[in-house]
Amino acid sequence: MNAIEITDLKYRYHDGTEALRGVCFRALPGECIALLGANGSGKSTLLLHLNGLLPEKINGDGAVKIFGDAIAPDNLETIRREVGLVFQDPDDQLFCPTVAEDVAFGPQQLGLSEKEISTRVEKALAQVGLTGFEHRATHHLSHGEKRRACLAGVLACDPKILVLDEPTSDLDPRGRREFKAMLRTLPSTKIIATHDLEMAVELCARSIILDRGEIVADGRTMDLLSDEKLMLQHGLEKPHILHHLHPH
Amino acid sequence: MSVHWPGHYHGAGDNLVRRLPATVKLGVALGLILVTVLLPPDQGMWYVAVAGLLFLEMIISRISVLFLAKRLLLLMPFVFGVVLVNALAPTGRVNWRVLAVKSSLCLLTVILAANTTPFSETLRVLKKIRVPALLTTTIALMHRYLFVLADEAERMRRARASRTFTPQRRFQWHALATVVGQLFVRASERAERIYDAMCARGWK
Amino acid sequence: MHIPDGFIDGKTAATAAVISFASVGLALRQVRRELPPRKVPLLGLSAAFLFAAQMVNFPVAGGTSGHLVGGALVAALLGPGAAVVVVTTVLIVQCFLFQDGGVLALGANIFNMAIVNSVAGYAIYRLVSRVLPGTRGRLTAIAFAGWSATVLAAICCAGQLAWSGTIAWSAAFPAMTVVHMLIGIGEGVISALVLLAVERARPDLLSAVQKDGGSGRVGGFLGYGLLAVLGIAIFIAPFACSWPDGLDSVAEKFGFVHKTLQPMLTAPVPDYQMPGIHWAVGATAVAGSVGTLIVFAGAMLLGRWLSSKTEKR
Repeated sequence: MNAIEITDLKYRYHDGTEALRGVCFRALPGECIALLGANGSGKSTLLLHLNGLLPEKINGDGAVKIFGDAIAPDNLETIRREVGLVFQDPDDQLFCPTVAEDVAFGPQQLGLSEKEISTRVEKALAQVGLTGFEHRATHHLSHGEKRRACLAGVLACDPKILVLDEPTSDLDPRGRREFKAMLRTLPSTKIIATHDLEMAVELCARSIILDRGEIVADGRTMDLLSDEKLMLQHGLEKPHILHHLHPH
Repeated sequence: MSVHWPGHYHGAGDNLVRRLPATVKLGVALGLILVTVLLPPDQGMWYVAVAGLLFLEMIISRISVLFLAKRLLLLMPFVFGVVLVNALAPTGRVNWRVLAVKSSLCLLTVILAANTTPFSETLRVLKKIRVPALLTTTIALMHRYLFVLADEAERMRRARASRTFTPQRRFQWHALATVVGQLFVRASERAERIYDAMCARGWK
Repeated sequence: MHIPDGFIDGKTAATAAVISFASVGLALRQVRRELPPRKVPLLGLSAAFLFAAQMVNFPVAGGTSGHLVGGALVAALLGPGAAVVVVTTVLIVQCFLFQDGGVLALGANIFNMAIVNSVAGYAIYRLVSRVLPGTRGRLTAIAFAGWSATVLAAICCAGQLAWSGTIAWSAAFPAMTVVHMLIGIGEGVISALVLLAVERARPDLLSAVQKDGGSGRVGGFLGYGLLAVLGIAIFIAPFACSWPDGLDSVAEKFGFVHKTLQPMLTAPVPDYQMPGIHWAVGATAVAGSVGTLIVFAGAMLLGRWLSSKTEKR
């Protein structure tokens, strides 16, 4: 069964601009897919569809299916449990006063017991390397720490699919390395929207290129990103890391 | 973080006062204020006792005198003004000395209580005394995003200022105009993203 | 006008606290019923905005940094109930985090700035925007509403100080009113600017409030609206009786007194002593009335100027 199945997804903004024009793709469980595209290509909009935040009025037409179930108004809870979304701006997602409270938010909404909640919080914080940060105020964290706290908050819900919107932007080189190392250890299906082409090469076997709301390429990361003409055509570029590899 | 306003007192580390549960600290502070305000003016000894207790608290919690003085000074103008008016035009019911002493003591009590209690604990106390959830959530969100918005405002103001070459006064109003309006629009868009983030983790 | 502890006595603080408690409770109920869930975080963010906006310090008459109350503005954008909740939040955080405003005085501060400011601001805004149509009308309305609400809140504050015997009405009323007539200008202008920015960038935010709801909506508002009026009556009315006295003194001072007018102007003197000079009170009342007209005219000009800027684009 496909983890994600998107069929002919269309979406228009309030002002009429077409953000998504008939997007189709499938993701198998365990795959790690990079979603690439220039700014404004529709990456974030697409990601918001994956856990039912868009469209504003879910109609259950089956354009987006998670593990075979079409997203519909009555199964939003289940969908959101299965798909964990890490937002682009960590300040939007870290809305609780302390780190522990924020990571506990998801499990609390799931109705788990106090004991289970603290176990999950502990485990999630350990996974992202933030053990000991429980009582830190969220607005006092560094940018890298905020991003890790956001990931912890999502991991605490134990999702089967992890969706990340530009997780390494604004991070310093060490922060980026550490975050990538963390992502590598997670076994869930991963969809990562990113400008970090090197991360795409390192983590994601498959890449999808989005341009003006349409998928213009979908295949092996190495093949797509080595195709300089393709990359430049869609507002991207061939990453330096591939300039030094032997063509095969 | 913006430098405009004095924040929480940092750097006192762990001490007896900090370790006291928030409920105790806030409860005692409230009690002190209540009695100070309601007491008739001739109870001089009480005021001395309260001052002594506050002094003790200040020593134990290692909050610097300078910090306290600065905070008091910031809040004093209104106090000063009213005390002055009372001194010049006595009402016959309240004496200006009593006014000054009472308000200063109460101010110090709250300053000390607030700076030895993290805000998240204060929130917890509010929840415990059954303040409605809608209000506590709003308070929590306000506190969380206060600094974020203030920083955003400062950045916008600076960016605006760096492209303005008119003399001081006019530029200030113009900068204010652009920044304040934009700030609210940005705040409302952020609020919607926060709503999405809350829903994404199961909030109903 | 955040009143610190020790400036109002037990009875004043208690009365204000009771009225505020009830009003905030009613407002919370209304918001829970009527605000769409999507807008709930906006309450907290509006509160953060009101505070952060003051950080962009603006100079008012001699360098004292003005305080943006914001009740009228939030009421225009989110409804009066939401405004009560938002400003209450701001006051609570200001009290606990920055010690601006006393703990026991919270009831009075909430009454003045969260309830009176929001209720009066909303009422004036709706009234004026109904009479003057379009964007221009709304901008005029919010500018005038913001100003009036601030002045009214200041008068209530003066009443509370006088009732406690802290300072005499004859000193409190002129001082608070005049200062806040100036500060209120900033509030009116800023409210108009924010409303304009919202109309341009997020018109969808405004439309929600413009819809005149059914009896439910009016019902909720009526609850704390009446409580606001009650509070105003308690805190101001006893002193307002001295206005005719005050007007009389003004008239005398400026030689307007006519024998036939005198009986009409003299009002029953209140029970307690009114120390201080009457004419300050009367003069303020006169200046206030004239000032109100001037401000309204100013608000109309502002509305016209701002809305023309929109049309040009």
